[in-house]
Amino acid sequence: MKLFTKYNRINITATICIFLAGSVAFYFVLDYVLIRQLDASLRSEKQEITEYIQAHQQLPEIQNTKEQWIQINKTDLPNSKTITKTIPVYNKAEAEQEYIRQLLFTVTVNQQNYLVTVNKSETETEELLKLIILVTISMVAMILLFNYLINRRLINSIWKPFYTTIHNIKDYAANQQALTLSKEPIDEINLLNESLNSMTEQIHKDFYALRSFTENASHEMQTPLAIIRSKVESLYQYAEGKELMMQQLLSIEDACLKLSKLHQSLLLLTKLENKQFVLNETIRLKSIIEKKIDERKELFESKQIDLQLNAIDFEMQLHQHLSEILISNLLNNSIRYTAHGGSISIILNQKNLTFSNTASDDSLDPEKVFSRFYKASESGTGLGLSIIKEICTVAGFSIKYQFENKTHHFIIDFQA
Amino acid sequence: MWYFVKKTGLKLLIIEDEFSLKQSMVDFLTASSYLCESASNYHDSIEKIELFDYDCIILDIMLPGGSGLDLLKSLKQNNKSDGVIIISAKGELDDKIQGIEMGADDYLAKPFHLSELAVRIAAIIRRKSFQGKSQLTFGNITIDVQGKRVTVENKELDLTQKEYQLLLYLSINKNRVLSKNAIAQHLWGDDMDFPDNYDFIYAHIKNLRKKLVSAGAEDCIRSIYGEGYKMQIE
Repeated sequence: MKLFTKYNRINITATICIFLAGSVAFYFVLDYVLIRQLDASLRSEKQEITEYIQAHQQLPEIQNTKEQWIQINKTDLPNSKTITKTIPVYNKAEAEQEYIRQLLFTVTVNQQNYLVTVNKSETETEELLKLIILVTISMVAMILLFNYLINRRLINSIWKPFYTTIHNIKDYAANQQALTLSKEPIDEINLLNESLNSMTEQIHKDFYALRSFTENASHEMQTPLAIIRSKVESLYQYAEGKELMMQQLLSIEDACLKLSKLHQSLLLLTKLENKQFVLNETIRLKSIIEKKIDERKELFESKQIDLQLNAIDFEMQLHQHLSEILISNLLNNSIRYTAHGGSISIILNQKNLTFSNTASDDSLDPEKVFSRFYKASESGTGLGLSIIKEICTVAGFSIKYQFENKTHHFIIDFQA
Repeated sequence: MWYFVKKTGLKLLIIEDEFSLKQSMVDFLTASSYLCESASNYHDSIEKIELFDYDCIILDIMLPGGSGLDLLKSLKQNNKSDGVIIISAKGELDDKIQGIEMGADDYLAKPFHLSELAVRIAAIIRRKSFQGKSQLTFGNITIDVQGKRVTVENKELDLTQKEYQLLLYLSINKNRVLSKNAIAQHLWGDDMDFPDNYDFIYAHIKNLRKKLVSAGAEDCIRSIYGEGYKMQIE
């Protein structure tokens, strides 16, 4: 729910409740005041009649009007107290129920008691009341409407910089420059922007610190490896005629190579996790696959692997280097786990890329197959499949592993 | 000794701050008949680059006192035609692209095989200078590097691309023991995952030898217990 909607819902409900309660109170107060006013005029009429009787010792001439009329009836009842009351009367002419305010009192003229009833129609009062209520209600409605419209404009314009800020944060990635959100006239938004600016600046700094640390660590690691390798290479020259030495030097070189590869793989994984690659290059997977197969031609031949490629040529947005790594790793993986004389099948279409190979062993553990340093054989760094998985994640693909009919299947779904 | 120094007159400058590595390169490349000079910091390097001309400069990027890329820049600003091969530990694709864009001729990530470096240097010198011969001759075998053709006593040999690369690699690093590891990496690059036995390299060597011998060439490729190979040329 939008802030404005939430605010409005509360605001309007509260306003309506307050105005409703106020209107009810206003109605009763007004009603009370008007009735009292009516009563006051009834009492002054009574006073006039009483004064007239005292002065003239006879009943006054009564002149009735539509609004006010007086009835004087003989009565045997003794002098009673003055009573004021409202009674409903049916008005035949208007065909509606009307209310009449009555003042009843007794007068004595020549030892004869008379009951005087002064009547006043309440219609006028009621109409006034109705009018006042109508005006009040329309005023309330107008206040609500204008309040809503003003609030909407105001809130939208006040929150505009907020939405701009949110929009900027949404597009923010750790590897890009720190945000430079503008200064705003509203303190709260300004505070938010300033905090975000300094926060992203810190993120940016940390990101580069980490990145250069990783790169420098790589440098410091590769140089000693290069030294070991170059010394081993020099030593080979003295190994002629010494088989054991040759073998041992070769193992040192192998270990060196493995360490260097391991390090490169970890560096690549870090970069993938940091999303340091921009996937905006147009690539053709089919030609990459063909190129990588061609590079490994001799490997297929030496293992007598039967290779089947069934690929559709199409373009897609990815990263040239990353897609090459992806295909290389998939191929290396397939070759490694295919027995001598086995077969590999690669199927590429717009939806999936499937690498299948006949297994030399049983199923890999589908739970662990993509985790780091998972190895089903002694060779390899154990990082190949996690790199594949990470590249898929970065590219927005999904990858799954299946094992059926003694065949490993790695299926990449481009649309997931 | 395992090398025969016959100076070619080609001058190299090796810029590398790690003493051991620099020494290995100097030894190896001197053995390959190059005149080697070396520098281990930015200041010395820029002095040498400005004063002398080299056929090829082997350039490390991270140097005490400055970046190798700046050296490359000043080289290009002074219109020097020295060949440049960058050797960097960073191995980052961006660095590689940046180096090549700034005018380096080649890029080699650490750690590398010295024999690989030798092949790259030879290729750069061939491309760059007129001194570099487009033909390599040893025994009765002649390699025409431009035409990528191999002839034995004027008879052309029918070699596959890999066999040609292998022969060129062995002959540039002649009289030197090369591990099957280094051979595999030279021929197939290092994004490949080699099976634990390098049988297929043995098969390639065997085929190459067969073709050379049947064409009448001397059988000069020797196997060192199947762990390494050497092209022996007296």
